Amino acid sequence: MTAVLEVSNLRKAFGGVIAVDGVSFEVRQGEILGIIGPNGSGKSTLFNCVLGQLQPSAGEVRIDGQVTTGARPCDLNRLGVSRTFQLLQVFPQLSVRDNLILAGQEHQGTMASRLFGSADAGLGAAAAQMIEFFRLSHLAEEQAGSLSYGQQKLLDAAMAFMAGPRLVLLDEPAGGVNLTMLGNLRERLQAYHTEHKATFVVIEHQMEFVMALCTRVLVLAEGRLIAEGAPDEIRRNPIVIEAYLGH
Amino acid sequence: MASFIQLLVSGLATGAIYALIAVGFTLLWQTSQTINFAQGEFVMLPAFFVLAAMNVGAPFWLACLIGIALSIVILGVLFKLIIVDPMLKYGVLPLVISTIALSLFLKESAKDFYSSQAQPFPALVPATDIHFLDAVVSTQSLAVLAVAILTVAGLSILLNKTRLGRQMQATAQNPTLARILGIPVQRMVLYTFLLNAVLVAIASILVSPIYLAKFTNGETLGMAAFIAAIIGGFNQVRGAILGGLILGVLDNLSAAYISSQYRGAFPLIILIAVILLRPQGLLGRLEERTV
Amino acid sequence: MTRLGIVVVALATVAAIVAPFFLKPYGIFLISTWAVLTIAAIGLNLTLGYAGQISLAQGAFVGIGAYTVALLMPLGVPFFLAFLAAGLLCFAVGWGLGYPALRVQHHYLAFVTLAFTTLVFLVLRNEQWLTNGIYGITGTPRPTILGWSTNSARDFYFFCLGILALLSLATWWMLRSPWGRAFVALRENPLRALSLGLDTRRYTLMAFAIGSSLGGLSGALYAPLVQFIEPNSFALGLSFNLLLMVIVGGSGNFFGPFVGALVAVLLPEWLRITQGYYLILYAAAIMVMMAFCPSGLLGLAERATKAFSGRRAGATTTVRTEGAGS
Repeated sequence: MTAVLEVSNLRKAFGGVIAVDGVSFEVRQGEILGIIGPNGSGKSTLFNCVLGQLQPSAGEVRIDGQVTTGARPCDLNRLGVSRTFQLLQVFPQLSVRDNLILAGQEHQGTMASRLFGSADAGLGAAAAQMIEFFRLSHLAEEQAGSLSYGQQKLLDAAMAFMAGPRLVLLDEPAGGVNLTMLGNLRERLQAYHTEHKATFVVIEHQMEFVMALCTRVLVLAEGRLIAEGAPDEIRRNPIVIEAYLGH
Repeated sequence: MASFIQLLVSGLATGAIYALIAVGFTLLWQTSQTINFAQGEFVMLPAFFVLAAMNVGAPFWLACLIGIALSIVILGVLFKLIIVDPMLKYGVLPLVISTIALSLFLKESAKDFYSSQAQPFPALVPATDIHFLDAVVSTQSLAVLAVAILTVAGLSILLNKTRLGRQMQATAQNPTLARILGIPVQRMVLYTFLLNAVLVAIASILVSPIYLAKFTNGETLGMAAFIAAIIGGFNQVRGAILGGLILGVLDNLSAAYISSQYRGAFPLIILIAVILLRPQGLLGRLEERTV
Repeated sequence: MTRLGIVVVALATVAAIVAPFFLKPYGIFLISTWAVLTIAAIGLNLTLGYAGQISLAQGAFVGIGAYTVALLMPLGVPFFLAFLAAGLLCFAVGWGLGYPALRVQHHYLAFVTLAFTTLVFLVLRNEQWLTNGIYGITGTPRPTILGWSTNSARDFYFFCLGILALLSLATWWMLRSPWGRAFVALRENPLRALSLGLDTRRYTLMAFAIGSSLGGLSGALYAPLVQFIEPNSFALGLSFNLLLMVIVGGSGNFFGPFVGALVAVLLPEWLRITQGYYLILYAAAIMVMMAFCPSGLLGLAERATKAFSGRRAGATTTVRTEGAGS
């Protein structure tokens, strides 16, 4: 069975600084893979290379066996890959509903169908469902910019899921969210995962969040993969502990 | 062959002037994300400062110094404080539009407050001809070349060999990192503006004897600066110098061999060709995609 | 749109329809110019205000449109076809210019369009066999639509107004469709838009091409309006003027071009007393406006109405609770 995501010997250098140094791993269908590591270990750079935001200096990325190294993010999205952002990136001037329709409208149809078709690109029902799922129904027509931080985080996740992706990369989803919201978010992510059999890759700092959500964990330090395994093993791994304490 | 050498020398002279203008433009972009659409008018204006100073009796050399000083104050300090700083918080687009409006403002000001007629401008050296290898080369071209080369050399030493210069370069390449390293970033940015003001003033003094001081000079000179910067690779100082020289030589050669009606078109076609075939310019690198 | 906005637009529409009955021929010429230039400004607004790209070639596209009509009609081509040809030609040229220029960042389109404008001017001036060079082309006839001759000043004004209304409606419809949503995304957060599958390059190019074709259509009306066209009318000055129109009106605002064009057409008349210093004042005003209110006159108006009504437009007051879901 082909892995959903395969990264081989990925390397990214910025001038003299080597941010990612020959990282290889696989993500299997249905997994929730966590990627952790101290600050500066290259997690975000790795993500950005996989997602086409950055050109890797060397190495290969494959989605479902297809080589996608350096492909543009919009092309990856159409292959079924989607992401959330560390810094909130909703569209503040659009309503919650419009944000979601936008998130789905480019995934289907053509430019022409979008111009001459219906104003909501046929996604009205799907958006409503998503709003329900993330429990944002009372905010559907509000401008996204007026939502609270936690609510925007939920919207961010909802937007990533609108196009029905097979692979979702979440960049520090728990960042800056309070505990109540966090439980809510985690529960919704798990529910989506179970319902849609999606595959997740999560970068996160918050240990508890990772351990509770992920089925398998990778540890990065100084651009290299230093450990891999089930959450419990990782938590007890001396190399990992040292990597974190060493900083 | 003889005329080729002539054209080459005068082309290098023009090119050196373009290089000065392009370097200032590139530095502004590098350090403060300022795309200065008024750069051409910045070159047009100091000549008028010089002429005004001469009108009140100053000798040429003094008038030039006054011109450079006024340039530093108005096109350096005032430009930064009044136009660039308030605009930066709105992003690049409003700033570009402001500089477009500024170019119009400066052009009309020169026309209305000085003269709409082309003004003769004194040359650096009396115009005589030197005979060299069967070619006739004007001392003016050589003088321009000499001053321009000296300026570029001085700039190079400043940027590469002095602490101040290296700090300016660091600020240009990575302001966040520079700030962390303790470099006074805001001050470095100011110095870049002052440096640009000096460069355009020198370029103005060099170019006005040839083109005459006219309020419309900004259009062609500005365009030359943009094209030179793009040919060289938009955010490379060395690229701007190379671009300027290449543009100057090609421009001069084309004037001799292409119909004068389309003379102005040649640089434009070079621009479009570069953008089509090698958008990163000669020395630039393909940038990281952020869109 | 707010209720106040609807009222204002309704009043303005009425004013636009009755105005020619109260104006002398020169006045009618001015409002006809306004209608025609608004079309070009709407196009540029699409490029600048919605796709965030600076085009300094809109004046050149107006010129291409004008010359297309001025050259085709004497050959017997009916106005309607020449009009369409102008639009299509400018769309194609816009696409051709934009495609390479938009692959790179750094606002290269601004420089490419700057160069293009100068090139167009040179061609218009030099190729006398085609364009009659600096002597220009006179006497482009005003069309007859289904038996209605638009030759008189008033009739031609209504014709221009009608075309303006049609094109505005088409633009409004485009902005209401998913394309409009895409343009907002493009303007607000191109990075996020990309990750959602939005092909930013394609949409930007489309906005620029459509914007340019609107410039061409504007030019197609300009030729029969002024009935004497020459290369200088379409040089960089017009492109600057159109750019300033969009900015002053309010870039990215649907009605911005209407307001901006009105200001641009009326200002020289009002500032006649300043005897030609008006360009300096205009430019200075732009710089001041950019510093304090980059969203133009309509942005200023929006702020003012918000301040008076005391509510943030668009958002109703709800209690923001942490923890969505009761």
